[in-house]
Formats: sequence, structure tokens, C-alpha cells
Amino acid sequence: MNPPFHLAKKEDLKHIGIGQVDDSAIKARTLKLMDEFRKFSRSFSAMLETCTRCGTCANACHSYLGTDDFNNIPAARAGYLRAIFTRYFTWYGRLFRRFSGAREFDDDTLCSLVSYFYQCNACRRCALYCPFGIDTAEIVLAGRNILTSLGLAPSFIVSIARNEILTGNNTGILKPAIIDSCSFLEEELRGETGLDIKIPVDKPDSEILYLPSSSELFTNVDTLMGAAKVFHHLGVDWTLSSVMLEAANYGLHFDLEILKKQNRRMRVAAAAVGARKVIQGECGHGWRVARMYSEGADGPVNFQLEHVLDFVAARLQRLSLSRLPIRATLHDSCNYGRGTGLLDSPRLLVRACVEEFVEMTPNRERNFCCGGGSGLLMDEMKDLRMQLGKMKAGQIKDLQPLDYVAAPCASCKAQLPLVLKHYGMGDTACGGVMDLLGRALVMDNERRIEGNATGNHVK
Amino acid sequence: MEFLFGVMLPYTAFTVFVAGTVLRAAGWLKTPVPFQLTLFPVPGSIQGKIRSLALDFFFCASLFREDKALWLRVWLFHLSLGLIIAGHVAGIYYLREQFVLVGLAPGTSRLLSKLLGGTAGTAMVLSLGALIVGRIINPVVRKLSVPEDFFNLLLLSAIAASGIFLYLPVFHVDLPAVRSYMGGLVTFRPASLPQSPMFLVHFLLVNILLLYFPFSRLLHSVGYFVNRSVLLESPPTYPTKEGAAPRSAFASSGRHAGLHASGREPMDMGGNP
Ligand code: HEM
Ligand code: SF4
Ligand code: SF4
Repeated sequence: MNPPFHLAKKEDLKHIGIGQVDDSAIKARTLKLMDEFRKFSRSFSAMLETCTRCGTCANACHSYLGTDDFNNIPAARAGYLRAIFTRYFTWYGRLFRRFSGAREFDDDTLCSLVSYFYQCNACRRCALYCPFGIDTAEIVLAGRNILTSLGLAPSFIVSIARNEILTGNNTGILKPAIIDSCSFLEEELRGETGLDIKIPVDKPDSEILYLPSSSELFTNVDTLMGAAKVFHHLGVDWTLSSVMLEAANYGLHFDLEILKKQNRRMRVAAAAVGARKVIQGECGHGWRVARMYSEGADGPVNFQLEHVLDFVAARLQRLSLSRLPIRATLHDSCNYGRGTGLLDSPRLLVRACVEEFVEMTPNRERNFCCGGGSGLLMDEMKDLRMQLGKMKAGQIKDLQPLDYVAAPCASCKAQLPLVLKHYGMGDTACGGVMDLLGRALVMDNERRIEGNATGNHVK
Repeated sequence: MEFLFGVMLPYTAFTVFVAGTVLRAAGWLKTPVPFQLTLFPVPGSIQGKIRSLALDFFFCASLFREDKALWLRVWLFHLSLGLIIAGHVAGIYYLREQFVLVGLAPGTSRLLSKLLGGTAGTAMVLSLGALIVGRIINPVVRKLSVPEDFFNLLLLSAIAASGIFLYLPVFHVDLPAVRSYMGGLVTFRPASLPQSPMFLVHFLLVNILLLYFPFSRLLHSVGYFVNRSVLLESPPTYPTKEGAAPRSAFASSGRHAGLHASGREPMDMGGNP
């Protein structure tokens, strides 16, 4: 087997509760798992059984358009599983194999499944194109779940899932380090604004629990600092939690049991600080899991749940913003656009922060994925990921000269700067929406610092 | 022979068609949808959702948005199919004098009925031809295709073509004879088959289609509603309303509850010291 990424080792899988399957038992286990899945989820069998192979989805998929690999056409990608499903779960597929496109389960099929299910960003653009509403991302994620149970999963995703299970965040840091980083950022904020802006951790009796992306403590610090400034300005009673310092939930990418565990943690964390409301920060798939999966994965939710961009957009009147002199665009994370319908607030905020706002074509729910979605951020896939980012690069190239791409999602923030550099647009910066707000916000009694107002930070 | 082809076959085919389609649909519908798979943006109201489904049902609206050339072939085919099915029911029952009901003279009605039927039949053959050609000349679609895709198109073409042949004087079929035969089937008093070889071919092919329909990709007609309704579901709202029923067993026990294939060990949640 030669997938474009490193497979997780046996011991690593064991840590997250996944056993290994003997080679001789793989086929039987796969079929059993497929049978489980078709009883588990309506979309699995209905979406496997309705494709007429019309090819409309080919033009939807940035993965196919970027790699030019036939197997990355959504219908071809899902086709591997579809062919096995037809062979073993429909009687006409059993009887008329060649006629119905049925396929034996063998090593080749298994290799193709592993390889091509992990060249899909689960962006769901194909579902928009398919005349029957076939969501290939659903089939891919179901397929990845099956592969995981066979002991086949990318080492990168497994290691992050392990961090989530052990520490509640992707980076794998523990409370002392969290507090350290937050005090450091508070220092930065004090230096910049002269104000005593807090980034509280585990503050009891907080009204709001804020779940950022843990990367905001180290790499995307401007996003968390932006949020802290805005919360401070609005007088929000908020805290981070060391139980769950993370909106992300890598379970979505490969294993529903892990999704369930990590999602439950949100309830534990909210209860621990007494929060009645959980606000999620800039993390695309994390927001989709929280908004769309919480109830289905772990039952009734007894607190409010809101995205930080919606929360701030609803209070925009109370912020005084001085527009940054830059030309900026917005990249709709797939999990915001098609995934959760978070379309208006990000635009409203970016528009309010910059002098010139331009839209990509296509945009909103028709936007192309950046190529970083669904946990494909491993180093070894970088070359392939640049191909996955080709459509996005084209969209941004059309807007040049451009100062800033606002991409309010941690995965997009990891992928887009590489894409920009790879396609010769290294001068265009990329960051969050909260980053822009933090820079444009005119704080009470603030001593404005030159670089802050002119947007030098940004470029 | 007469009994086999004139009685057994149509009743079997019809039963298989109805029962097969209903069972396949029921199989999908009885499976839970464990999570909302809303594809945004979605209409918030029931009327909006029905409108969206109807636009797709009558006009293939989403295909129109994405691929106009394919849409034209597909829509023309389905439109003519719909007209032909309606025309068969009305035309056979009223012996082509259905338009008398809207005030035309019997002779005019018969002429109009023939004209409409002939046009729809021709449109069907042409659009099916275009679909076959489209499948062959587009390299991507050709590579995606499996033999069944061509078989479906050819079977439907053969049905449409044999139907059009019935218009030709050499293959003439006596409409009252067809009516008394079909009427006999519907009222469970089987009458004898009309004496026309081309009619028998046409009738046999339709029965094959009915027998085959529930197992084939033609079931996209049902799957379409199943998939779309999943994507059109409204998102959840939080906090969850009191007393809402769980969406599936997953919310309480997980995917592997009561199943044996998984071999999963319980996970230690760990904690953050
Ligand atoms: C609710 C009813 C239906 C809907 C919404 C529907 C929708 C569609 C759509 C959107 C396509 C285009 C995709 C493609 O080219 O494959 C299509 C193709 C097709 N449909 Fe339907 N359909 C329905 C019912 C039927 C029925 C009842 C039949 C036949 C008995 C049928 C036969 C076909 C055929 C032969 C194609 C062409 C497949 C090809 O491209 O080779 N459809 N349908
Ligand atoms: S979900 Fe996105 S990446 Fe995956 S097959 Fe569909 S369009 Fe392609
Ligand atoms: S658009 Fe839908 S029906 Fe057509 S090939 Fe793609 S998945 Fe299949």
C-alpha cells in the first residue's frame, strides 16, 4: 500500500482505542462494517445507490480540477465504495457483476480507497452540483470511518486525535503551558493598547466559554488577541477552558466515536466554568461539528451555541472601527458556507474593517475549498495539497493586487499562506477576521500606535 | 402462451415494480439520519423546501444551474416521458377522445392526440439518442459509465421506438382492442391480447422495464427525494427543546452499540491536570 501520507502505526492507533485487523480478515471485516454503516445512516446507502454517473460533479471538485486525476472525480472517488457495495449488498450486483459495475473487494480496491478518500477535502461542493444531491463527502467520511476501524488512518490525524483525547486540544498542551501563553499574550496586549485586557483561563462562573483554535496560542495569535480585545471592549464575561481549549474535532475526519468523545467534552468544559453559552472561534470543521453534530452525537444540549463571527456581527454597532487601508477578500471556509450557512457575518465584519473589500468568484456557498480541509495538513502531502489549492489560487490571482485574504478557519490559515507562496502571491497576507477586528478596533482611552492604524501589521 | 404473456407477465411485472420500489424506498427511509446534513443555504419554511423540491422535480433546476447542455437532454427526456405516461392513460381510456372533455370535436381530439403522442415519442427517442451520444463523446462520462447506463438508455429507446412504429400502417394496432385488454387487466377480468406483433414487442419491453426498474439506477427517481430531503433539513437549534426524541441510538450508545464487527476498546478520556 502506497498512500500519499504516512499510515499510523499500530501502537498509535491503540492509544485511541483502535485495534488492528489481520490481513486475512480484512475483507470480511470491511463488509461487516459496511453493513453496519448502511443500517446506521440513511445517506450512506441512498447516496451510494442513486448515482447515474452523469459526470456533473467533475466540474465541482477542486481536487479533480487541481490534480487532473480521474479518480478524484467525486463519482469516481465514491465509485470505489459504490462498486463494492453493489457487488456485496445488492442482488443484481451479485448476479450481473460487469453489467452493474460491481467490483470484487481486493487489495487494489483497498489501496484506492485509502489513497483517494484522503485526497478529498470533504468540502461538499459536489453535493451542490449533483442533480440528485449526492454528497460525496458523506460517503468519503463514512469510508474513512470504515478504514479507521480496519486500522488504516493517517498518522497525522491519529496523533492530533490523540492530543484531543488526552488534553482536549490539538496542540496537546496542558494547563500550565496554557496559562503561560495567555499571560504572554496579555502582556502583548498591554504593550499594544496600554489596557489591562484579560485572557482568562478556567475562570469560574463565567457567562461565556470561548473555544478558539489552540493554534491561536502560538501561530495565529492575532486571532485570539483580536477576540480578547473585542470581548474586552464589549464587556463580555468570558473564559477559556483547559479542559477543552479547542473548537476543532478531528473525529469528524475519520472516526465518529472520537467525534462523540470530543464533542461531549464541550459539555464538561461548559459545566466546569458554569457557562450558559459556548462561543466557538475561527475553526471551520469545529463549528460544523458543534453546530450540526452536537445533538446527534451526544444528545440534548443545554446551553446556547454561537459562532464568534455571528456574536460580534450582532454587536457591530457597539464597536468603533477605523478602517484599515488595505484591499482584502474573504475566503468562505467550506464548513462555514455549505456546512453551516455562516455566510453573512464574516462579510459584514471584513467590510467594516477594511477600505476595499472584494469578492472572489465564485463565492459564498459556491466557493472553492482551499485544499486544506478534512485533516489533510500533514507535511508529506504538501505537494499534493498545492495541487488541491490550484483552483483557490486562481480565484485569488484574479483579485491581485490584493493585501489580505481573510480566512476565518485554522485549517485554511495553515494551507492558504503556502498556496499563496507556491503560486507566486507571497505578498498577499492571510489571516483571520478577528485579526482584522483587533487591528481596526478603536479601544476606549487607547493610545493609538502608528503601525496599528496604518495596517503595517497586515502587509 | 396467451396466459403467460397476457396475464402472468403483466401482473408479475406490476407487482415487482410497485413492491420493489416501495421496499427499496422503505429500506432507505427506515434508516435513521443520525446528524443533520443540511447543505446551506436552505429555505427555512416548509413551503420553501417544497418549492425547492418541486423546482427540481419539474424542471431539474439544479442541473440547469450546473450544466445547461445536459439539462436540455435530460429535461426533454423526462418531459416527454411524463407526457407519454399521461397520454397512455387518457388516450387508451378515452380512445383518443380525451380532448372532447375540453370542448374539441371527437375527430379533432383524435388528431391532436396522435400529433401530441407522436411528437412526445419522437422527442423521447431524440433525447435518449442525445443522452447516449453525450455519454460516449465526453471522455470523463464515458469512463465513469458502466454497461447498465447504456442498457437503460437503449431499453427506453427501444420502448419509445416500438411505440412510434405502432403509428405506421404496417404495424397498425386496433385501439379498442388495446383498451379492452388493458381494461380487463385493471378490472381483474383478463381479456385476450390484441393481435399485433409490434404491440406485443412494445408491451413485452415495458414489462421488462417494470421488472427491472426497482433494482436499477432508474431508482434515482426515488433516491432523489430521499437525498434532497436529507440535505434540506433545517439545522438544530440550541439549547435543545425539552423532550425532543433522540435522532438515533448513536447519541446515547455510539455507532458500535450492539454490533460485533468493530472490536473497539473503550477509550480513556484522560483529563487535564
Ligand atoms: C422524480 C422523478 C425523476 C427525477 C427527479 C429524475 C431526474 C433525473 C435527472 C436530474 C437526470 C440527469 C442525470 C443524468 O444525466 O444521469 C436523470 C437522468 C435520467 N433519468 Fe430521470 N428522473 C426521474 C424519473 C425517471 C424515470 C421514472 C425514469 C425512467 C423510467 C428516468 C430515466 C432517466 C434516464 C434514462 C436518465 C438518463 C441517464 C443518463 O444520463 O444516461 N428518470 N433523471
Ligand atoms: S467533497 Fe469536495 S473534495 Fe470531496 S469529492 Fe466532493 S468536491 Fe471533491
Ligand atoms: S453528479 Fe451525482 S449522479 Fe452525477 S455522477 Fe456525480 S454523484 Fe453521480
